[in-house]
Amino acid sequence: MTGEILRILLLVMQLGFLAVLYLLLFGFARSLLRDLRSAEMTQEASQSGIGRLAVVESPNDEPAAGHSIALGPINSIGRNVNSTVYVEDDFVSGSHAMLTFRGRSWYIEDLGSTNGTYVNGHRVERPVALSFGDELMIGRVRMRLER
Amino acid sequence: MRAVRRPVELQMLLPLALLVPLGFAVTHIAETGTLDPGPMGLAIGFVAVMFGGHLALRLAGNRGDQLLLPAAAAIGAVGFVMLNRLPQSQLGMDLFGVEMGMATTQLLWFAVGITAMVAVAVLFRDDGILRHYKYTWALGGGLLLLLTFLFGREVNGARLWLYLGPIGFQPGEAIKIVLVVFIAGYLAEKRALLAGATTRVGPIRIPPLPYLLPMLAIFVMVMLVVVISRDLGTALLFLGIFLTMLFVATGRRSYVLMGILLFVGGAFVAYQLFGHVRVRVDNWIDPFVDPSGTGYQTVQALYAFGRGGLFGEGLGQGLPSISGRLPIPALPTDFIFAGIAEELGLLGATALLGLALVLVFRGLRTAMLARDDFSSMLAVGLTVSLGLQTLIIVAGNLKLVPLTGITFPFVSYGGSSLLASFVIVGLLLAVSHRTALDAVAEGRGP
Repeated sequence: MTGEILRILLLVMQLGFLAVLYLLLFGFARSLLRDLRSAEMTQEASQSGIGRLAVVESPNDEPAAGHSIALGPINSIGRNVNSTVYVEDDFVSGSHAMLTFRGRSWYIEDLGSTNGTYVNGHRVERPVALSFGDELMIGRVRMRLER
Repeated sequence: MRAVRRPVELQMLLPLALLVPLGFAVTHIAETGTLDPGPMGLAIGFVAVMFGGHLALRLAGNRGDQLLLPAAAAIGAVGFVMLNRLPQSQLGMDLFGVEMGMATTQLLWFAVGITAMVAVAVLFRDDGILRHYKYTWALGGGLLLLLTFLFGREVNGARLWLYLGPIGFQPGEAIKIVLVVFIAGYLAEKRALLAGATTRVGPIRIPPLPYLLPMLAIFVMVMLVVVISRDLGTALLFLGIFLTMLFVATGRRSYVLMGILLFVGGAFVAYQLFGHVRVRVDNWIDPFVDPSGTGYQTVQALYAFGRGGLFGEGLGQGLPSISGRLPIPALPTDFIFAGIAEELGLLGATALLGLALVLVFRGLRTAMLARDDFSSMLAVGLTVSLGLQTLIIVAGNLKLVPLTGITFPFVSYGGSSLLASFVIVGLLLAVSHRTALDAVAEGRGP
């Protein structure tokens, strides 16, 4: 008789174990779905662009460090006030560099600036392809290309 | 370092406080035939370790993905219940005169793993350390590989173990992570070149070899050493990780195709050269040729899957042990999935794979949202290493592919594997933490 009770108890507990396991899985599935829906919504709201420039270091605070600038396909960088990315720094030329998105990569080209354009510490001589995460040094302003 | 709340993580960890003690109770009742639920120290210890990890992440101010830890903990919980159910004396560690059973040892490693996870999530919040010193990391990994090759201990025909006093570890697990870090750093630097440029030789477009060569050279070296030390499961895993990362970085199918051809060729050569590869492959094609010899484990595993059925034999009620020994000797390590399938049935085994899927899903999401190429590639590589490893060993248990001796991440008995798996979760947490911080800076996040 006790054997019978034991067997039923074990069966119930075993099914209980599986039930908790599936409850857990169900909870994960719900979290994933909720996250997917909110991701769709933020994507619709922001229409995320092709890239951004995050300002890491900027002695004159123009652009301010910590800000990130949304980029179009063609961006001029310089001290000229009409530049897409306007940089106020004594070491930056009027038309300093050009940042363009072609095909599926970003490219940077120095426009004959006095103090040069640096990518990850190397001076740019010709137009070079950039990866997301690369650091640009324009004058004394340090910026990072981000998605 | 401002403390943050991680409510979703806490909520998803709570069911474990019921799941693990329940599993322990079923096991004890089934084994003793009394109504006594048995000692709960280990179960409580496991739950405490996981909640400790959660608290530490909160205090450290980690804003990373909140489903990564619960998913890993849930997978680990099922494995831990299973290990507790097996004869404890079979494996375990003798640490400074204190003899510990299998589950106790594993709990110790869970604690070490969670500690490492939190440490990694905090230390690598700034990706610079990993990214800028990628060659140094690769060199360290290479040295480790060389040490294993020279001084390693051979178990089951493969030289995988290094011993430091009483504690042995498998450097392959650490090398896996270092390799992913290196490839991610290299591909992030050269991605634009690899995806864009092609050299044309007549009508055939070939990839820009000069840019690929340094990475290929290091990868081939690693593969050579791994193959020579006859650790073919790891070789397969490394190749899979490498090809996936290359494909993600460049979007070129031709690389994957070349890789697969390379694999088929390599597999054929390995079959011809190594006796134990031939044994594994022959067992895979037909284990019943020698069911009590070389095919023994595979045959027993197939029987175990069959006995399990839909709901399983019940924890502590399957796996008839013959005079205290398990029917499948490698049950706690290579064949743990077969044991879980026998006692928890198709339902339990499927749930376990579902949890692994959650982990992979969140890892790939972390990669997708990352703001720079290195973080993205790193997250892809790490996630794929967990997912692929699970896939290879589960398929090996089921006789879908030849069995290779790699572990089931978070489930199999073994400290190195557990530690490495939690370090991977820690790195993923660090990457998603950075993404979340950037979102906050742009005023889009909470």
